[in-house]
Amino acid sequence: MIKRLDKRGENVLTENIIFIVLNLVFLAILVLFLVSKMGDAAILEEKYAKQIAMIIDSAKPVMEIHLDMEDAFDKKEGVDNNSMVLIDKNVVTVKLREKSKGYSYSFFNNVDVSAYTGTAKEDINKYILMIDPK
Amino acid sequence: MNKRGTDKIISVYWFVVLFIVAGGVVYMAAVFYGAPYDVREVEANILINQIADCIATGGKLNNNWNGLDENNIFERCHLTFGVEDEFGWKDDQHFVNVSVYGFDKDKGIWEIDKDKKIFVGNSDLETTCNLGKTMPKCVERSFYVSDGEVIKIKVGIKKVNKNV
Repeated sequence: MIKRLDKRGENVLTENIIFIVLNLVFLAILVLFLVSKMGDAAILEEKYAKQIAMIIDSAKPVMEIHLDMEDAFDKKEGVDNNSMVLIDKNVVTVKLREKSKGYSYSFFNNVDVSAYTGTAKEDINKYILMIDPK
Repeated sequence: MNKRGTDKIISVYWFVVLFIVAGGVVYMAAVFYGAPYDVREVEANILINQIADCIATGGKLNNNWNGLDENNIFERCHLTFGVEDEFGWKDDQHFVNVSVYGFDKDKGIWEIDKDKKIFVGNSDLETTCNLGKTMPKCVERSFYVSDGEVIKIKVGIKKVNKNV
């Protein structure tokens, strides 16, 4: 036998539902904040600059390295694909935002490095690093 | 105070707790993501590998080891200590110390020739190695070569502003 809720019961139910919904909204905002922080362009710039510097440091001449940078391609704002990774002398600079100067990190391996985006189908969203002797 | 009044106070406290939790999460995220990745240990290990490859191949000393010294190590091992010029850094953010020891089952390890040491880079860094987060990160590794010698390579990297 089903009993109908009286007026007082309905109020309690509504209050609880509102309370739970507000808590869920709060938790969702927190999670969104953390996710947005994790994929922040500034953090990606640092991550990729250091990663590329370490890759070049451990590379030997005549190596060709294909680096998957899909998240960086997704996050870049107003920067040309071929200008995301710049290598000048022995300093790597990764720039994903038009207004920032990017993040730079140096490598000690004295080699010539050229960096460009892949054009082949399997190299979409990848950067290719060519290591040549000096 | 009736039950309804008590419920309202509990609800207010609950939202105060939520704001404290939110503040804590934001603070922790800012501290965690605001701090740079410290890659100096990885970098030092790679530098040791590069120098070891330059000195020995397949467990045997390379022919050029005898001629290797402070003046030609950069050219022969393809190294450069030039760094980005952001914090007034010059080429003073690294050091490398290579020394050769003898190895014998009975005698143990002893330094063969004190003159046969190669030190390049900033010598001030070695005295403050691993003394704290804001000090240079140093890594020392040894490897045996088939000629009965032990090569010790110690490497230090400062680059504090970019890693701490």
